[in-house]
Amino acid sequence: MRPFFIEWKARNIADPVARLRYLHQKMEPGRSDRVPRRTQWKVASLLPALACLFIPGFKASNAHQDLFVAPIPHVAAAAPDVYADVWRVEKTNDSETYSNGLRIDDRYAVSNEPRHPYRVFGPNADASQPDIRTQPAGIVYHTTESDQASFEEGQNGALLRIEKEVLSYVKHNHSYHFLIDRFGQVYRIVQESDVAFHAGNSVWADSSGVYVYLNSSFLGIAFETQTRVGEQTSANPAQIHAARVLTQMLRSKYHIAQSNCVTHAQVSVNPSNMLIGYHTDWAGNFPFLEVGLSDNYTAPPAAIYAFGFDYNPVFVHATGVRLWQGLALAEDQLRAQAEARGLRVSQYRAQLRKKYHQIITTLKPVSEAKEQRHAT
Amino acid sequence: MQLNDSLNHSALGLDVGTSRICLARQVGADFQFQTQLNAFVSVPFSPMTANVLTKENIPHTVSGPEIVVHGNESDRFADLLNVDTRRTMNKGVLNPAEPDSLNMLRKIVESLVDPANDPRKLCFTVPAAPLGAEQNLTYHEATLRQVLSGMGYQVKSINEGLAVIYSELESTNFTGIGISCGGGLCNVCVAYLSVPVMSFSIPKAGDYIDDSAASMTGELANRVRIAKEDSFHFNGFHSDKLLQVLGVYYDEMIQSLVTGIQQAFSNSRNLPKQKRPLPVVLSGGTALPEGFRERFEKIFKAANLPIPTADIRMASDPLHTSAKGALVAALADL
Repeated sequence: MRPFFIEWKARNIADPVARLRYLHQKMEPGRSDRVPRRTQWKVASLLPALACLFIPGFKASNAHQDLFVAPIPHVAAAAPDVYADVWRVEKTNDSETYSNGLRIDDRYAVSNEPRHPYRVFGPNADASQPDIRTQPAGIVYHTTESDQASFEEGQNGALLRIEKEVLSYVKHNHSYHFLIDRFGQVYRIVQESDVAFHAGNSVWADSSGVYVYLNSSFLGIAFETQTRVGEQTSANPAQIHAARVLTQMLRSKYHIAQSNCVTHAQVSVNPSNMLIGYHTDWAGNFPFLEVGLSDNYTAPPAAIYAFGFDYNPVFVHATGVRLWQGLALAEDQLRAQAEARGLRVSQYRAQLRKKYHQIITTLKPVSEAKEQRHAT
Repeated sequence: MQLNDSLNHSALGLDVGTSRICLARQVGADFQFQTQLNAFVSVPFSPMTANVLTKENIPHTVSGPEIVVHGNESDRFADLLNVDTRRTMNKGVLNPAEPDSLNMLRKIVESLVDPANDPRKLCFTVPAAPLGAEQNLTYHEATLRQVLSGMGYQVKSINEGLAVIYSELESTNFTGIGISCGGGLCNVCVAYLSVPVMSFSIPKAGDYIDDSAASMTGELANRVRIAKEDSFHFNGFHSDKLLQVLGVYYDEMIQSLVTGIQQAFSNSRNLPKQKRPLPVVLSGGTALPEGFRERFEKIFKAANLPIPTADIRMASDPLHTSAKGALVAALADL
């Protein structure tokens, strides 16, 4: 059992003496081999993989078979998706008003390259037969990591100056679709119909398939804030409210599932070293519940079980404990898939990675060079 | 720290410090502490003195032509007689220069710890080896083990710095840096998920400050200690020369402690590679003066340690931290 899982489990032991006893037992040198390998949730995570064996058309892989995109695990029953009825009430040259109280400031709105039809790689589908879609399928939440003046009346000048600089910067770089400033004002940056350069190297999945290169398929919303390690969120109440009504509007408009509203840290990958978590914004304390979403931190990052990505302790320690469960589930999923195919995890991982590289070779967008120049 | 009331109530924690010995026990969901000065003083025997000491319940032992007063009252008697107290321990271990050290230590421990009629767990603190030295702590630990086992306890020992972590760093799963600034030594321990990965001690602590200030001012070390505990604080101007001198030696002690930490961190290969900053907890009687934490933090932050550290804070009850940590270890049956 890896130390961070031990740590996560220990945190759930309320009694300090019992917690110390548990930690001491688990961390004692030479004890790791005696730790039972199959915890309840590991067993549970095997079930979806085994269930895949009964899916019509499903073929277990072996080294000679064509590579596949891994099945999507259903690790927890997500809350049912309910879409509020939100409509646009008024539009002027500078702003839009919506029926749920959302107001979008359009003064910094800018066009970018249009969202071309993008590919979604379905479970067990060959990369050559992806599903083609055009509507945004999800939302990725970011932080601007910009300077933060003290949030008090005496700092109004500095707060506004920084905000304007950030707005100019993200507009120039086509960084996100929306930006929520520190006063909770929502600014449109890149038009919803266009691609924003917010999550280039990224992977996510839902029950219908695997999304790669989320710039095309997901909308990007940035909070003007900095990532903070720990459980305390780095968004203020005004920003959380704004994110709530903005998310509500976008989900209503595009029928975006809650499970596809995720943070940049959850989807970001680094193809050069095949590690997830290249970006760590909102790694552990995004206020999912306050924004009106289910807590997606416990969802397994698809990059691990679908494409064999790994993660390192640096990422683990940048994240909160809520995300660790997702990491554990993804790892278990990967292991279960390998077992189901009679492969060692390393062999299976190598297959998945090869598949990923095949896919991104075909996905390299024309605008990649431009995006890299503008990368924030 | 809230404890589950259903836990083992028969365990004890004992912090055996150079300056004080502190016993911790669990009563209900709370901790209770008893402390005795780890010192003694001899006064000439007279029946009158012996009677008064007995009537006043002052721990003492008649030894031939003298009465040995030990524990808390030894301070007052030493002051009255204008002599220094004698110490059972020096720099964290049994005092080799004091022929009565073991006997007196046993007496002081007995004044705190009742003999156990049924098997009870007792965990006592031991210092870490001084940085850069290979001091043999076996004799000290084995002797204490023998004394306490002889009183009927199932005895285990715990590193003093680790005890600080067990006492104070529950919120980080017992991960962080525990520092105990005591009389004879400053003990430092780094633990990761309750496992000590590095521990050492620095031989400059409260006694060093007292002795150095005493030699500079011509005062007795015991009086220096009393003045230090009663009126010294950082961040202020002292018109009193003794307090000024104390400030100088306090600074030197903190500097040595931080340098030691820096040196130990630079040399250690065992440190966990982690991005999450480690919290630092300060405890012990020598860390008590007002402004100590701030002064330590200033020097510590300037030292550029190779691992990130989070907040530096005082223990919630600095005089009892190690004893409480030893008790937590005993309760957890480590």
